[in-house]
Amino acid sequence: MFSNYEPKDGFDEYFAAPNRPRSCFEPLISSLGHLGLEEISRSHRAAETLLQQVGATFQLYSGAGTDSSERILPFDPLPRLITAADWAGLEAGLVQRLQAIDLFLSDIYGEQRIINDGVIPRDYIETSQGWRPAMVGITPPLGRWCHVAGLDLIRDEEGMWRVLEDNLRCPSGVAYYLENRRVMKRMFSSLFHSHNVQAIDDYPSYLFQTLQDLALWTETPKVVVLTPGSFNSAYFEHSYLAQQMGVELVEGRDLFCQDGRVWLKSTNGRQVVDVIYRRIDDDFLDPACFRSDSLLGVRGLMDVYRQGQVSIANAPGTGVADDKLIYTYIPEIIDFYLKEKPKLKNVTTYRCSRPEDLNYVLDHLDKLVVKSVSEAGGYGMLIGPHATGKEQMEFRQRIQANPRNFIAQPTLYLSTVPSISHGEVYPCHVDLRPYCLRGRQQWVSPGGLTRVALRRNSLVVNSSQGGGCKDTWIVQDNVPSAAVPC
Amino acid sequence: MLGRVAESLYWMFRNIERIENLSRFLEVSSAMDLDSGMAIEPWTPLIDACGDRELFQAVKGRFSAEEIVDFLVQSKNNPSSIRNCLNLARENARQIREVLSNEMWEHLNAMYWRLKNERPIAGLPSQEWLLRIRQDCQLFYGIADVCFSRGLGWQFCQLGRLVERADKTARILDVKYFLLLPHGETVGGVVDQLQWIAVLKTAGGYQMFRQSRQLSITPKGVAQFLLLDPNFPRSVRFCLDGIYRSLSRIDPLQASSESPLGRHVGMMQARWTYTDIAEIIKYGLHESIDRLQQDLNDLHNQLEQVYFQAPQSFSPPHSSNQRTA
Repeated sequence: MFSNYEPKDGFDEYFAAPNRPRSCFEPLISSLGHLGLEEISRSHRAAETLLQQVGATFQLYSGAGTDSSERILPFDPLPRLITAADWAGLEAGLVQRLQAIDLFLSDIYGEQRIINDGVIPRDYIETSQGWRPAMVGITPPLGRWCHVAGLDLIRDEEGMWRVLEDNLRCPSGVAYYLENRRVMKRMFSSLFHSHNVQAIDDYPSYLFQTLQDLALWTETPKVVVLTPGSFNSAYFEHSYLAQQMGVELVEGRDLFCQDGRVWLKSTNGRQVVDVIYRRIDDDFLDPACFRSDSLLGVRGLMDVYRQGQVSIANAPGTGVADDKLIYTYIPEIIDFYLKEKPKLKNVTTYRCSRPEDLNYVLDHLDKLVVKSVSEAGGYGMLIGPHATGKEQMEFRQRIQANPRNFIAQPTLYLSTVPSISHGEVYPCHVDLRPYCLRGRQQWVSPGGLTRVALRRNSLVVNSSQGGGCKDTWIVQDNVPSAAVPC
Repeated sequence: MLGRVAESLYWMFRNIERIENLSRFLEVSSAMDLDSGMAIEPWTPLIDACGDRELFQAVKGRFSAEEIVDFLVQSKNNPSSIRNCLNLARENARQIREVLSNEMWEHLNAMYWRLKNERPIAGLPSQEWLLRIRQDCQLFYGIADVCFSRGLGWQFCQLGRLVERADKTARILDVKYFLLLPHGETVGGVVDQLQWIAVLKTAGGYQMFRQSRQLSITPKGVAQFLLLDPNFPRSVRFCLDGIYRSLSRIDPLQASSESPLGRHVGMMQARWTYTDIAEIIKYGLHESIDRLQQDLNDLHNQLEQVYFQAPQSFSPPHSSNQRTA
């Protein structure tokens, strides 16, 4: 099955070289060989049908729920493996990073030491799209801001893990991570026999615990999930998480503020709400505080929040910390608050706001990936080596017009994992989004959502650009003194 | 429970019940269609049984077996076609997936995708196809029965299902009764046994009728069974008993004589419990069933007012401020 497989452009996670699998993959590669490509393809199709039937779908923004714009996230059946030892290091790095980020948020919305000490210029923070002046002076319960984070990690050409982006507002995708595993177990159970795979089903329990922790004023907190509604593209995930936690899924119109509390309208009277796991952006939370045209939020919510009578997860205003420009300061942030060295490295990044970086970027547009700091989802970026001269020209003008809005990174050849592409096994580029929870305790999901660029040679893993996903296994590396470690 | 959640549960079950009834109607008619010598063609009454004659004439115009089947099974212009009901039931479920058991959702969703990925039916549907639809609905009920908690949500499901069922049982009887007993002919005249057997089968009650009656099939006997039998789960009386029971579990006060809703349901239940079939026929079967349908519509409207629309007393304070300002 892998006899013609040739790793290319980046670190291949299965194979060190053609026909030389890394040690911990040997049992899996042998199980896959037993199944054979034909059988795998058959189960692959069945798995995709199953994902459709369980409703693990997203909606393209175009209309009602009953039209054909409902899609599954393409699913690739060849699992990605990460050794437990490797994972332990990653986990420690994530915990450290999020701890520093929470301290950073408390500081910039509080004393602002990091600004006053001259580490980060004030205007970088206050011009960030994620900056919310309404949060100044507010300390969320437990001093925690990012209760649910989904950082995007990649492995560079040497296989070293790096953080590509911090998603600290409403990271999505966790439902696919959980449902993919369920489908894998059903359709590819034999593969699991070759490895001791760490279970992931307890995510909803930890999420629920994390949310309950945020209601300091009661022993019996009422938690709800707040969704923009059933036409939202991620509605599946909202209803899935509410169902898994056994809490109510509400829309803004189901809630109201009265007598200093937030209430749920129900068939048998009003019920007080303690914690809101919101899956809508800051701007739409409260028309009295943020965007006044918002129909999705709850009028008066921020007043109740300021009085400490309701918790919102994640706290409003966390977006300033996942601004792509602030990202470049994370090593300084970790040093400033924790006096530690970052356990997880950033990707080398040029700040166009700095004149010498700007010149370098403009001189090397054909080699760099340039990103707008205010756009996500693979939009608003230039991949230099794949861009035409005209596209580079246009981007040059955009950068010069507003340098603060751009950063640049060397073109990264993300690591590859064998994937089914046009009926054969092909090395496709992947990233990883682990989910980190922070309430009284902190918890990192074992593995996470592996996104895979299923278009051959594409480096963009976003679902809007032809990306899919894979099941991700944390496994014990039981093979002693192997020739090629993982 | 949120009013809109209660409403989605109600409609989800109501739509499934509608699909189940429609598929049984079609199953019986397509079996009758194969028999020779039937005095009455089996398709047109289905349009009347669904109360859709006007819509049908507007959309299709021509009464042929194929057009009627197309209208009832898949026409986009008929909001109550099997396909539309399934789309609606699935959308109801999708919106409130968080309150359903996973197995219920997955079954309904699988049914939805199966039909969606299938080509539309040309000509007449096979009995097998209709049977599969009906059994999918019944499987859905079975799944709900074994894994859905008997809380508030369940009661709203029951309301949707029983309101729809009472309505459909009454309608099928109404239509057939009218067709089979031409004007002037008195009850007890010459009847076509085959036709009356078909009526019972359409309501899924042939064997149960036989067991409960131990008599030959008469129009009066069939009407009594389908309207007033206390034990047959598709009879109007049985449905009304269930509706009353669910209402009292949701809120005893709303089911009592203290509330308009309770009085309305109590009156309906009394009327269909303490009446003799002879009296109904004397008053006019069609008129009685007409009244039942009106009463069921009123019941639905009251459920909407009491439970599905957000209660006024919970409106956020800013709106009352605006009123006083």
